[in-house]
Amino acid sequence: MINPVKNIQRSAQEYKLLDAKDKKRYWMDGILNNALYILMAIFVICTAILRPRFLTLDSLGNLISQVAAYLPLALGIGGCIVLTGTDLSAGRVTGLTAAISAVLLQESGLSNKMFNSLPAVNPGMIFLALLAVAAIGALIGMVNGFFVAKFSLHPFIVTLATQLLTTGVILWFFDLNGNNGQPISGQDQMYKDFVGGELFRMGRTPIPMYVLYAILLTALMWFIWNKTTFGKNMFAVGSNTEAARVSGVNVFWTIVLVHTLAGAMYGYAGFIDGVRAGSVSSVSGMNAECDAIAACVIGGVSFVGGTGKISGIVLGVLILRIIFVALTMLGVSPAALYIIKGAIILCACSLDMRKYLVKK
Amino acid sequence: MEENRTQGQEVPKFRGLYRYVHISVKALDAIIIACVAVIILVTLFSLRDAGYRVTFDSRGGTDVAAEKYQYGDHIQLPEPPTREGYTFGGWYLDTACNEPLTEAHTVGAELTLYAKWIPTS
Repeated sequence: MINPVKNIQRSAQEYKLLDAKDKKRYWMDGILNNALYILMAIFVICTAILRPRFLTLDSLGNLISQVAAYLPLALGIGGCIVLTGTDLSAGRVTGLTAAISAVLLQESGLSNKMFNSLPAVNPGMIFLALLAVAAIGALIGMVNGFFVAKFSLHPFIVTLATQLLTTGVILWFFDLNGNNGQPISGQDQMYKDFVGGELFRMGRTPIPMYVLYAILLTALMWFIWNKTTFGKNMFAVGSNTEAARVSGVNVFWTIVLVHTLAGAMYGYAGFIDGVRAGSVSSVSGMNAECDAIAACVIGGVSFVGGTGKISGIVLGVLILRIIFVALTMLGVSPAALYIIKGAIILCACSLDMRKYLVKK
Repeated sequence: MEENRTQGQEVPKFRGLYRYVHISVKALDAIIIACVAVIILVTLFSLRDAGYRVTFDSRGGTDVAAEKYQYGDHIQLPEPPTREGYTFGGWYLDTACNEPLTEAHTVGAELTLYAKWIPTS
């Protein structure tokens, strides 16, 4: 066991031995490498001063729900980034599966119910709907993975194509049965309770059931990444495809399965989103992949490939959500929000490269 | 330490998605500082006019001015609009007038409220 106190003492002694120039570099490195954490701290302090409501249990409960809602996408996309790829279709797949689960589990006897022939919602149907949307997500992911693995196409191109294809399917889906692109609402109470039912209360804010599911999902992904052959193969392919192939890893299936698993995650995220926002519209989930990619990169899942941890992804999502909850409370305009998002992604990628360069 | 010092001039090779990237630590530092500066400046600029606009769509009635609220505020209802041949039936969150605006509703995003009109005759 390493004693943390002794560790700190040792680094303090090492620091004393540095000359003035190196001391300055030490501080500059520290500040730059932790730029986003420092930024987060500034936001937290400023928001706490300007909006006292920010530092309440209610606001913490809101933050926890938001982290749980954004986590599945990031966990899915994380695998694609470990393979030095990415997935631009994530947000739209979530939108499609949200619409499908909302329609499948719509209240019976509703005047604007899309498919009147569907039976009344029961627990079995909720489970089947979850499986169905996870399967739809997995199928789209598999298409992504197949083209990436088989033809070595860049994931940016393949997933951009599936993003547009999925958008088309979504618009078409919302026009079915005389719906005319109207948002889908009126989800069955049983479905609402299954996803958004109250687990416990934090202040006056209820913590929904999907927080529990997010914890289980994170544990499952941790197991897959760290304890299975598939997980180890994923890291091997990500850090060096040729070396992995030579040492007997089935590169084709590893890539296909990573994308399929990511797709299933988007399907699950859609199932949650079908309830979370109240109604599902044709723009639901738009650009959600940007947040997920940014969270992964902030959390140390590097575009260099082959590195990343589940704990890092959770941390990344948490930091990003803290910043955005703070910005929402401050009441920053949507225009500013987009500029800030862009700057955060650029900053996170630069930090990612910087860590790689300095370490070398 | 020796290795670190030479990095300003010599650019090492990246792997993965950064395969073709050629950049020095100094340039990266500049980008990071610029990004953080942009984020802080944009936030400060945006704070001058912070808040969420609540628009009142009177739908045929007399105009009601939009108002700005801060996050978590309760909406203070304006003077009800009037319309010839109709009585005002309250503000609703949706165009179909299914979800009325309740006392408990707090502002958390841009919002449009729709007037409900009940024919008098």
